[in-house]
Amino acid sequence: MEENTRAGAPITPAPLCRAPAQGAGISGSTAADTTLGRAPAQGAGNKAGGETGSEAEKIIEIRDLEKVYRNGAIEVAALRGVSLDIHKGEFVAIMGTSGSGKSTFMNILGCLDRPTGGIYCLEGLDINEYDDNELSLIRNQKVGFVFQSFNLIPRTSALKNVELPMVYGKVPAAKRHARAHALLDKVGLGDRYGHMPNELSGGQRQRVAIARALTNHPPILLADEPTGNLDSKSSIEIMELFAELNNDGNTVILVTHEPDIAEWAHRVITFRDGLIISDRTNPPKAPM
Amino acid sequence: MLFLENVKLALLAIKSNKMRSFLTMLGIIIGTSSVIAITTIGDGASSAVSAEFDSFGKNNANIYPNTYGMDYSDSSDRFTSSDIAALNERFGSEIEYVSPYYSAATDVKIGRMSGQFNLSSVSGNYIHVSGGSLAYGRDFSQSDIDNRREFVIIPEEAAKKFFGRGDVAGESISMSFAGQIREMTIIGVYRQKDSIFSRLMSGTSYAAYVPYTLWNDAPSEILDLYVGSSQSISASLDKITSYLALIHKRPADHYIGSSVEAQQTRMTQIMGVLSVAIGAIAAISLLVGGIGIMNIMLVSVTERTREIGIRKSLGAKTGDILVQFLIEAMLVSALGGLIGATLGIGVATVGMGLANVSVNVDPFVVLLSVGFSAMVGMFFGLYPARKAAKLDPIEALRYE
Ligand SMILES: Nc1ncnc2c1ncn2[C@@H]1O[C@H](COP(=O)(O)OP(=O)(O)O)[C@@H](O)[C@H]1O
Ligand SMILES: [Mg+2]
Repeated sequence: MEENTRAGAPITPAPLCRAPAQGAGISGSTAADTTLGRAPAQGAGNKAGGETGSEAEKIIEIRDLEKVYRNGAIEVAALRGVSLDIHKGEFVAIMGTSGSGKSTFMNILGCLDRPTGGIYCLEGLDINEYDDNELSLIRNQKVGFVFQSFNLIPRTSALKNVELPMVYGKVPAAKRHARAHALLDKVGLGDRYGHMPNELSGGQRQRVAIARALTNHPPILLADEPTGNLDSKSSIEIMELFAELNNDGNTVILVTHEPDIAEWAHRVITFRDGLIISDRTNPPKAPM
Repeated sequence: MLFLENVKLALLAIKSNKMRSFLTMLGIIIGTSSVIAITTIGDGASSAVSAEFDSFGKNNANIYPNTYGMDYSDSSDRFTSSDIAALNERFGSEIEYVSPYYSAATDVKIGRMSGQFNLSSVSGNYIHVSGGSLAYGRDFSQSDIDNRREFVIIPEEAAKKFFGRGDVAGESISMSFAGQIREMTIIGVYRQKDSIFSRLMSGTSYAAYVPYTLWNDAPSEILDLYVGSSQSISASLDKITSYLALIHKRPADHYIGSSVEAQQTRMTQIMGVLSVAIGAIAAISLLVGGIGIMNIMLVSVTERTREIGIRKSLGAKTGDILVQFLIEAMLVSALGGLIGATLGIGVATVGMGLANVSVNVDPFVVLLSVGFSAMVGMFFGLYPARKAAKLDPIEALRYE
């Protein structure tokens, strides 16, 4: 059992951000083949990340992460020194009250935003060392992001939305179509390829968004309150999908403030006022 | 991001906002269509006019006395057959044709047909030097001229209209000119090179030629002249006018020689000034059109802030967003340029059709206007596109 990583007590292991054995570099791997999911890491599957953490490969290493928002003279410290590791194949829920810094943390994990202090390593890459265009490439290749408000591009079909990360990843058109079709089949929207976002229900939109997040085989799948805009039935369906994806070997990190959503995860991290106040493992949820 | 992908995106954006896209293009459409219409009409007109000049013959000139501040009752500086003789003797082959010029309009009636002839005085060989040809009969001989024979050469269309056939040599018509009613014998029927003037005139009046000697040596104010085509016309005219001044005992610059070539040069200069003016109008209208495009692109960027945020979150680089909006701006204005060019050519074709002049559409002009419009779009789209490209992904995603 991994001990809780309390904020303010950083582990300082010798060299952080060393390049891992595989999956290193951001040199746009265009190998978007049509097989779904990533090859499961050894020991991954539906076991709690906490149990296998010491053996599985570290995907995320964070030390003393800080984020201060400055609006003129007003400063808001949204993150005040967060440290943690996440291993390949983990299913992590991040909880906490509104304003505790969850979204700020997720945006940094997703390389949408930069920390104002501390270190964030994603698959051995120190995010601080890359410029904006390189971060775009990292987001494209290494991050799948699912938002509360779906964030599909309007007047653009489900298929085109799913293809988009591959367009920016310069995947040839034929491969894009095949992969997007396969992903929409996988999330249960095999009959909705040509639908526009406004022709889909909330749950269906979120499925499209999940398919889109998976497109370039990212090592991490991030979701900021993915069920926040959904009814309870759709929420369960979406969580089943995340559980299935995690079962396939995907590393899933999701934010929620609903305890029954957090129950799906194998590790629950709680934020308060920009600090981690608890980090516990969860007994695996019984399959439905 | 791939070029084609961006073109598709831009077309989608244009299609999903049809009215707005059209209004955006309007400035460019108006600019290019007016420029294309004006230049096409101008080109058509100037080539028609220069063809007309060519039909007179570039070596044609008129000489007339400078009567500014002169006493009109003194006709001693005007031209008579003695001038013709003197010029022919002095310059010989350097002059291809020379005649005092008189003109008269006369109504003619043959059977139930009536019409008007515009008579011009000529000496021998006029039909040939002016670029026409005799269809039937013959030209005036020197003895016809010298003996003041009442002969006339008429155009083929007139022969067909009045007699129902072309070969009417030997027929007679009565005409009234130079103070007399005369029974004229048609000795020749000529065929003129096709020209706008002859087409515009057709059916109303006909240009017919009679010997200048029928005016009985009344002093003429104008000398019609064709210089040998191997000569420099302005040099020849200088020599001829100063020689005429010598004969008439006038100052050396008393006679003015006005050549078709010189008029054509002047015309070309006027066209040049005109095209500069058109260029200025084009520049202003494209500027206005470009500002319109910039304005709409700024609105579009603001409206699509969230979309830009989504694209960036999915891996779009600054350059990808920049290119996307630039291509959209370029496509809108290139489309405007294309519509404008089509419209301009349409207007020019209809306008020139009314004037019975053929339009020559230069495909290069269409290409140029589309290309130039696209460049205007690129220039004015750059600022909004940069604004879009520089958006912070988080702020863009949060935009409501
Ligand atoms: N762009 C911003 N500018 C200023 N303050 C911000 C900004 N984004 C978030 N914050 C502040 O940072 C804190 C954490 O916000 P957030 O990460 O969104 O919390 P959560 O997602 O847990 O509700 C809050 O106090 C919030 O007001
Ligand atoms: Mg939040």
